[in-house]
Amino acid sequence: MKILIANRGEIAVRIIRACREMEIPAVAVYSDCDRDARHVREADQAVHIGPSPAAQSYLRIEGIIEAARRTGADAIHPGYGFLAENAVFARACRDAGLTFIGPSPEAIGLMGSKTAAREAAIRAGVPVVPGLEQPFAADASAAEIAAAGAGVGYPLVVKAVAGGGGKGMRTVEKPEELLPAIRTARSEAGSAFGDSAVYLERRIINPRHIEIQLLGDHHGTVIPFVERECSIQRRHQKVVEESPSIAVDPGLRRRIAAAAASVARSVGYTNAGTIEFLLDESGAFYFLEMNTRLQVEHPVTEMVTSVDLVQWQIRIVRGERLDIDPERALSPHGHAIECRIYAEDPDLGFMPSPGLVRGLRPASGPGIRDDGGVGVGYTVPVFYDSLIAKLVAWGGSRPEAVSRMRRALREYQVLGIRTTIPFFLWLMRQPEYSAGEYDTTYLDRLLASRRESFNELDADDEDLAAIAAGLDAYLRASAAAAGQGTPESAALWKHAARREALRG
Amino acid sequence: MTFEIDINGRTRTVAIEKTVGGKYRVSLDGQLHEINAARVGVYGLSLLDGQAGISREVQVTPGTTRGELLVSLSGRTIAATVNGRRTGRAGVDAGGGDGEQTVVAPMPGRVVRVLVAAGDEVAVRQGVVVVEAMKMENELRAPRAGKVKEINVTPGTLVEAGRVLLVIE
Repeated sequence: MKILIANRGEIAVRIIRACREMEIPAVAVYSDCDRDARHVREADQAVHIGPSPAAQSYLRIEGIIEAARRTGADAIHPGYGFLAENAVFARACRDAGLTFIGPSPEAIGLMGSKTAAREAAIRAGVPVVPGLEQPFAADASAAEIAAAGAGVGYPLVVKAVAGGGGKGMRTVEKPEELLPAIRTARSEAGSAFGDSAVYLERRIINPRHIEIQLLGDHHGTVIPFVERECSIQRRHQKVVEESPSIAVDPGLRRRIAAAAASVARSVGYTNAGTIEFLLDESGAFYFLEMNTRLQVEHPVTEMVTSVDLVQWQIRIVRGERLDIDPERALSPHGHAIECRIYAEDPDLGFMPSPGLVRGLRPASGPGIRDDGGVGVGYTVPVFYDSLIAKLVAWGGSRPEAVSRMRRALREYQVLGIRTTIPFFLWLMRQPEYSAGEYDTTYLDRLLASRRESFNELDADDEDLAAIAAGLDAYLRASAAAAGQGTPESAALWKHAARREALRG
Repeated sequence: MTFEIDINGRTRTVAIEKTVGGKYRVSLDGQLHEINAARVGVYGLSLLDGQAGISREVQVTPGTTRGELLVSLSGRTIAATVNGRRTGRAGVDAGGGDGEQTVVAPMPGRVVRVLVAAGDEVAVRQGVVVVEAMKMENELRAPRAGKVKEINVTPGTLVEAGRVLLVIE
């Protein structure tokens, strides 16, 4: 077997690691701006597939199939995002005689449509969030839309049929906000997924986002895992995930897991997938959607169950039987938390902060896992999602995991660009987070009222920061004077000397 | 050697004199610190402050805009400039202020929508332009209340970081 990874960044690195452990050669693909990316350097082979914009490289099906043919790869792992949930791609792999490491094209097609997936859940006897069963027609009139909104009831959520990752999704509080929200959601969905169809769902008040990871083999076995809690979201994007959930007891865990497994079985699902639910304050849960791929947050499940989900994806397509003890899959050992480290500036409203990574020292030590995707000298490009690493902390209990995460966040150094690490340091100190008292609206509410910088230093640290900036300039100037400097430091030296002269 | 360091909105005066063996006498706004400094890699400095040897690892790297330095310690990163090589950072949350204010693209992207027209009155923090970058739509807000004086972009315009999108007076 030889696996081509049709992805980039941290997930490509994660899959290469699984391949190495299984002694399977791994082939990377890359666009123009990713020539020096970490996944290219760590793979056994790498093939250039086009210009930087994803539509001309990582989303171009023919280019990827051709790269597999050229390198003799016989299987393709799609990762997440890009082509991972594209039934046309899965079918193209099959037609080219390549093994797609994921579910069948039929399962992707069915569960990829949010409205069709809702119908499948209803047929499996699993409760769904009340809402429209069909998307709006592209030419739906304002009156039709208003009537549909009134029928679903406010507050409601506008969702892209092809959506995922919070893109093409808007919460609407009042009828007059519905039309503009539909317009934005359509435009976002159109550019992100190439499908601008949207529908409506009622918004559950103060819900938690709970999801069940599943594996299904080709012999009829479906195994659900202990839940992940992903309620810490910013604008519908998950930023922190953990397992298990503080809101789920063993009885509820069994009920949600059984519901998830019955949806998966009813559609003959194979390989890795995740079923997302909303959990309301009364403990009632509603099917939200199914993700027919490996999830970003899969490591927290791996940390509390000791199951390697990526290796299992590969073993399943090889025809192996799932021999995981179902009881063990539902019995978490300890607690795991993941922070998604993005190249974003939390002090600028989480604007992307692409640029040159000048230094990198990931956290390590007891209970820490770093799923990183960039290396020193790499320029984080503007073309893709800005996730640069996932930091996972494991502890024997939730408070232990939180303490480890705080320690690891302080250790983690990414130099040259802004990241969300300072934001996570702040979040991990919030009393509601420590107590586990939050829902999917918590973070946006908290951020809406916040004006202070996430990079606040205490007075002593601020003094040392100023001293360090001065010493850095001093040392560079001295080195330049001794003839060992770079042009950059030489300029600084001249500047400093001129300044000194003016001072007399 | 004396430096003026702009950091966290304050200008600090740092005078440095080398003593012996990696030790420096540093005056910070007239307050004396005995610092033991060791270079760690290209950008790192290990500082031990005073008799107590307060230990901090500080990283000083060039930032994303010209002349800006990023100073990282204790898990936080703040911007600094040395001897007035200040460029200022363009921002959506640049705060109020009088006079003409600009809304600037904080990074390269594509203008998706312009939410106001020239001559419109806008409130502080009102959304004015939507820019798509890294697959996300980012709504840029007015830094102050006022009247839209000029708009320099239309939907579809590709913008570089630092490009002035509109002016509010």
